[in-house]
Amino acid sequence: MSDLLPTKLQKASGLIRITWSDGHESVHPYKTLRASCPCAGCKEESQKPADPFRVLKPSEIAPLEVKRIDPVGRYAYRITWADGHDTGIFRLDYLRSLCRCPECHKL
Amino acid sequence: MQPGGLPKLSLPNMKNIVAVASGKGGVGKSTVSTNLALALAGMGFKVGLLDADIYGPSVPLMLGIQGQVDQSTTPLPLDRHGIKLMSMGFLVPPEKAVIWRGPMIHRALTQFLSDLPWGELDYLIVDMPPGTGDAQLTLTQSVPLTAAVVVTTPQEVSLIDARKGLEMFREVRVPVLGIIENMSYFVGDDGKRYDIFGHGGGQRLADATGVPFLGAIPIDPKVVQSGDSGAPMVISHPESPVAAAYRDLAGVVVKNLAQAPQEAPLPSLS
Repeated sequence: MSDLLPTKLQKASGLIRITWSDGHESVHPYKTLRASCPCAGCKEESQKPADPFRVLKPSEIAPLEVKRIDPVGRYAYRITWADGHDTGIFRLDYLRSLCRCPECHKL
Repeated sequence: MQPGGLPKLSLPNMKNIVAVASGKGGVGKSTVSTNLALALAGMGFKVGLLDADIYGPSVPLMLGIQGQVDQSTTPLPLDRHGIKLMSMGFLVPPEKAVIWRGPMIHRALTQFLSDLPWGELDYLIVDMPPGTGDAQLTLTQSVPLTAAVVVTTPQEVSLIDARKGLEMFREVRVPVLGIIENMSYFVGDDGKRYDIFGHGGGQRLADATGVPFLGAIPIDPKVVQSGDSGAPMVISHPESPVAAAYRDLAGVVVKNLAQAPQEAPLPSLS
């Protein structure tokens, strides 16, 4: 695990911005965060074949909205979504790897 | 649990919360925790000892408290030998097994920490259960742990599990003060040193993981007798090499904690 730490978390329209101790500002669209949820339920769901009878994805029924982000110890954040999902604990290094800023995303 | 998040305990009266852990059971965590707590109290600090081993609490026996505690006459945490104590062993009869899943462990530990009148403490020593499971997760996620010390014995079977314990603390960013090698060696009546469980395992682990080696605690049959009789070595045999090793350890813990940089909590959403 790297020693990088977040210094600021901000909610913007449809995304979270995190400023890190190395000065980088990472960008996390809600869609990416929800699709990358590391909880056991979401991981299992992502490994199942697509449901041919599902017309709309849950995110298309109700728009994704982050309700809260709570620190977990000194190593992770727990994201609570507006639909009640709150079992994903995002470790800091994992969160940083999910950055979708143009610089990180082209790597 | 609070809706939408883990309960975060605010424990402003506890200046330092130090976990005593190991990957493996039977290496002497409770013996180390108890003697370390008493050695710190002997230095004049206000000390508490929380037995976080819900399934197999050992602290009551080691401090001479037998059976359940009648809370109508004896408030918890108990006061014994100048330190404050809490253990699951005070709440259930010794012969009764606690058969609980993780959420109950979480609830018990957070209640022990937040609901009891611990008062002002310079050090709360947390005697962790073996492994890297529910109790460890609760304490690292919900409790502002200042640091951890990892106990091992010299042999490989203990070292491999101690390494997992170290890795866990690294993963959850709890600073590790160092490694203590318990049951390190035996000094016979002939004055010779016998490395019964091998030599230098704790130091090797410290070197390999880049964690300080805090010291070696020798084997002494009196440790077993004093533990079983409720009078730990630091108070029953203060002149013994074992007690001296614990006092040295307490000194190192105090010094290293004072020098360790204070880690700020993670920022919240602004």
